[in-house]
Amino acid sequence: MTLESEVQSLRQVPMFREIDPARLKLLAFTSERVGFAPGQLFFRQGDASDAAYVILAGRAQVVLDLPAGAFKIAELGTNDIVGEMGILSDTPRSASVIAEGEVTALRIDKRVFLELLGQFPQMSIAVMRELAKRLERTNARLAESSS
Amino acid sequence: MDKSLFRYIWRYSSREQLVIFAVILASLPFYFWSLDLPKSIVNDVIQAGAFKNGKTDAIFLEIAFTPPAFLGNWGRIVVFPGITVDQLGLLLGLSLMFLVLVLINGAFKYWINVAKGALGERMLRRLRFDLFAVTLRFTPNTLRTVKASETATIIKDEVEPIGGFIGDAFVQPLLLGTQALTAMVFILMQNVWLGLLAGAVVGVQFTVIPRMRRIQLRLGKKRQIASRRLAGRIGEIVDGMEAVHVHNATRWERAEIGERLYYLFDLRFRIYKWKFMVKFLNNLLAQITPFFFYVVGGYLALKGHLDIGQLVAVIGAYRDLPPPLKELIDWDQQRLDVQIKYDQIIQQFLPDRLLPPESMDEPGEIPSLDGPVAFKNLHVLDAHGGTLLEGVTLAWPYPARVALVGDTGPGPGVMARVLGRRIVDYGGSATIAGNELSQMPDSIAGRRVAYVGSEPILFPGTLRDNLVYGLRYAPRHQGEDGDDGEMQRILEAKRTGNPSDRLNDDWIDYQAAGVDGDEELDVQLIEILTELELADDVYRFGLSGLVDLDRQPELEEQVVEARHLLRAKLAEAGLERLVEPFDIDRYNRQASIGENLLFGASTAPSFSGRGLVSNPLLRAVLDSEELTDELVELGARIAETMTEIFRDLPPGHPLFDQFSFIAADDLQDYEDIMRRRSMRGTGALSREDRTRLLALPFDYIEPRHRLGFLNDKLRDRIVAARRALRDRLKGSLFENDLVLYDPDELCSAAPLRDNLLFGRVAHDIADAPSRITTLISEVVDELGLRQSVEVVGLGYQVGPAGRLLTPQQRAGVALGRCIVKRPDHFILNNAMTAYGDAQARRLLARLLDTHRERCIVAVMRQLHSPEDFDVVVEFDGAGARIVHGTDLSAVENGTHDGEAATDEAEAVGRERGSRDKVEAILAKGRS
Repeated sequence: MTLESEVQSLRQVPMFREIDPARLKLLAFTSERVGFAPGQLFFRQGDASDAAYVILAGRAQVVLDLPAGAFKIAELGTNDIVGEMGILSDTPRSASVIAEGEVTALRIDKRVFLELLGQFPQMSIAVMRELAKRLERTNARLAESSS
Repeated sequence: MDKSLFRYIWRYSSREQLVIFAVILASLPFYFWSLDLPKSIVNDVIQAGAFKNGKTDAIFLEIAFTPPAFLGNWGRIVVFPGITVDQLGLLLGLSLMFLVLVLINGAFKYWINVAKGALGERMLRRLRFDLFAVTLRFTPNTLRTVKASETATIIKDEVEPIGGFIGDAFVQPLLLGTQALTAMVFILMQNVWLGLLAGAVVGVQFTVIPRMRRIQLRLGKKRQIASRRLAGRIGEIVDGMEAVHVHNATRWERAEIGERLYYLFDLRFRIYKWKFMVKFLNNLLAQITPFFFYVVGGYLALKGHLDIGQLVAVIGAYRDLPPPLKELIDWDQQRLDVQIKYDQIIQQFLPDRLLPPESMDEPGEIPSLDGPVAFKNLHVLDAHGGTLLEGVTLAWPYPARVALVGDTGPGPGVMARVLGRRIVDYGGSATIAGNELSQMPDSIAGRRVAYVGSEPILFPGTLRDNLVYGLRYAPRHQGEDGDDGEMQRILEAKRTGNPSDRLNDDWIDYQAAGVDGDEELDVQLIEILTELELADDVYRFGLSGLVDLDRQPELEEQVVEARHLLRAKLAEAGLERLVEPFDIDRYNRQASIGENLLFGASTAPSFSGRGLVSNPLLRAVLDSEELTDELVELGARIAETMTEIFRDLPPGHPLFDQFSFIAADDLQDYEDIMRRRSMRGTGALSREDRTRLLALPFDYIEPRHRLGFLNDKLRDRIVAARRALRDRLKGSLFENDLVLYDPDELCSAAPLRDNLLFGRVAHDIADAPSRITTLISEVVDELGLRQSVEVVGLGYQVGPAGRLLTPQQRAGVALGRCIVKRPDHFILNNAMTAYGDAQARRLLARLLDTHRERCIVAVMRQLHSPEDFDVVVEFDGAGARIVHGTDLSAVENGTHDGEAATDEAEAVGRERGSRDKVEAILAKGRS
């Protein structure tokens, strides 16, 4: 797997879909490709948010650690992004993420990511658009559940 | 130092000056002979003067003389009858003699130049050293107004022309004066009037020109001061660069320096105008004399008062007069110039700015200062005459833990500075064990009193060097003196008033640190650093440091053992993939192409960084393995990708430094190379372009950069090139520049951590570096190597002024340096400002606890834990009094005699004072 294939993966992420390929290449190049063993933690709930991950291959679970025990709240697959909210909002991890099997992911460092957003407004707008869409969906879902 | 430069030169170099002068005199006959000989060759041989009247041979080399008649009638005495030769023989003989004379003159000139040069350099060395020695004696007050870079330019640059002058100082005027005088006498002998005329012109030259030059010199003096200030200012700006940028003051600073440069230019310009004016006048006066000769001499000759022969002889002789005169005037100019420079320099080093010379003397025995500290009517003024402390009379016993407390005002700090001898011009008296502090020499105070201020002062060197800085009192000579070079060094030192101490000797006073030798001292240093909470830092320094096998030979085997244990542990935990070990037969995927080629660690620039790509040995290997073209092609692809990816980032963006193969400044160059390549193909690129492209892939690591450039075939060929490099390295010029990896040996050029790993941490496994760090720590502890690692860490380079350390580490080193010399009195003047509140309190409590047997004095704004102190001095405005613990001065002033008072006070001092007084201070502090 090379940089080019990673750029292809990044293009599948809704947040990055509209970003210029040259920027995505820069984003990919400045990220690290890391492998996780089965059961290895990406990060633990409550940790400081230092990076976001795009899963290139394999599956991972998002787990909420509650006093009563761990609850699996979501499952992640290829081309899913995780941890991006934490680095944008500068808050600790709201849940833990654990590799289900062997997982390969692209680790996007928080500092580098913010650096790129600051440098390229087009990237910031793409990220904002995705966040706005998410908010809209949440609002719609709230409206559905309350009606 | 002498006020007059000449007295200074004469005092230290009169003997050499006289020797040189004698040799010059001895050389003169040969010189004149060599001038005379061509005349003989022309007249006697070529024009056949010696072969007139049909003579066919002449006598050559006859040595004979006739003693004066009053010695009796000896007749002509022949020492050597000479050889009879024909015309050709005489020509050959005289020419050979001319050749011999040329050689003799050359030899004389050589000797004189070397002697003059050596004399000048020796005096320069002495002068520089004297100035430096005086700098060491600056009083603390003077130091506040002295700029470091100004002093540096004085000692380095300003004395330089003085050194060049010293060799000529006495010899030149004597020599030139004699020459000029001879010519003058000759002219006077021909004709008195013409002689007087020439004398008058010379007189004008000697009175007017120096006067004009005086103006020039005054300007020169201004220029010297201005350029010294410029150096000082630039030094200040560089030191304060942070403030310049933080406050956006670059434009202001640019303007300031620009103005100073204009002033310097203006001075220089005015100097030039004067200089060339003087030159013009000088030439005019020199050439106007022949005019007078022609007019006056011609008139006299026409009138018959002077014969033509005399006139020609006078004009001929006058030709010899101006050159020495001109040089004499130049010499005089130079003399004034260097005298002014010397005066300017001496101004900076006036006695009233200095400590008495005795304060630097080394006493035979160092008395212990384990006695009480007493102040009697202590008065301290600041630089503007404002009162800092007034009428302070108090004393505390020994040992004691003393707090100097004052929320506002400089009082506590001032008292601490008096104790640390940073203020010596106080009024009243301040004594330790009965010794007046202002009179105490460095040698005693430096050993028995330790003072730490808020700004730690570190010197470039290792952590160890900085920690033992306070133990280097005197060298202990090791090894024998027999070495010729060493004898020469000592001889030169004695000739120039420099110290003959050898830096390579062991200077450390182990006894003062309470240890037996180097090894024990290292252990002691580690203990101290642990006490100061720096153990982890030193451990980390150790892992990134190089092992000094001379110091720790045992590590050679232990590191290899640890390396194997680490490997076993990785296997045991199923984590082998975290580290890819170095294997001579395999390409290491986690290492760069460059590392894979070298398979070793470099000790010289020829195998690292930019030197690598221009290393002829490596290039030859790449050529013979036919890898060059392929790697250049790879470089081109990297350059292409990098220019594409980073094109839109502005230069200087932090991502450049972190990720790009190409520095921001070089990006344009590479774009140009790529353009040339796309036009003409890789093959047509210049050698320089190819070299630049070749440099790129050396840093390429596939799993990290993921450009997909490597395949197994290329990897195998790189491994083959590695072997070829190994073979060629043996016996080559670069053999010692690269230490090759060997699984069973310590690689002395690689950091300890790399040696333990003996491989590269996988880039593509999450959290690999932190997991490896934990594992290394486990292995190190299991084998009991932690202390050894920390000792390696003592070799960490701290950088200029310790800038490679954090402020906390710097503060720790400053404290550790004091602790290691086990002083009687330990003074902490805001020494812990670099630490956070909690850590500062924790460290202070620990220091107070471990130094119970001595006097430890701490300056504090507020008293947090009164129970930790035996004596609390409270400052209020310019006054101070002991509010907790017994004031010894009160006891002394009572009816007891001195010794009994001390005993009693010490007893009192040891016992904890009354709580209520302390409560009162605390209450006051809160309100």
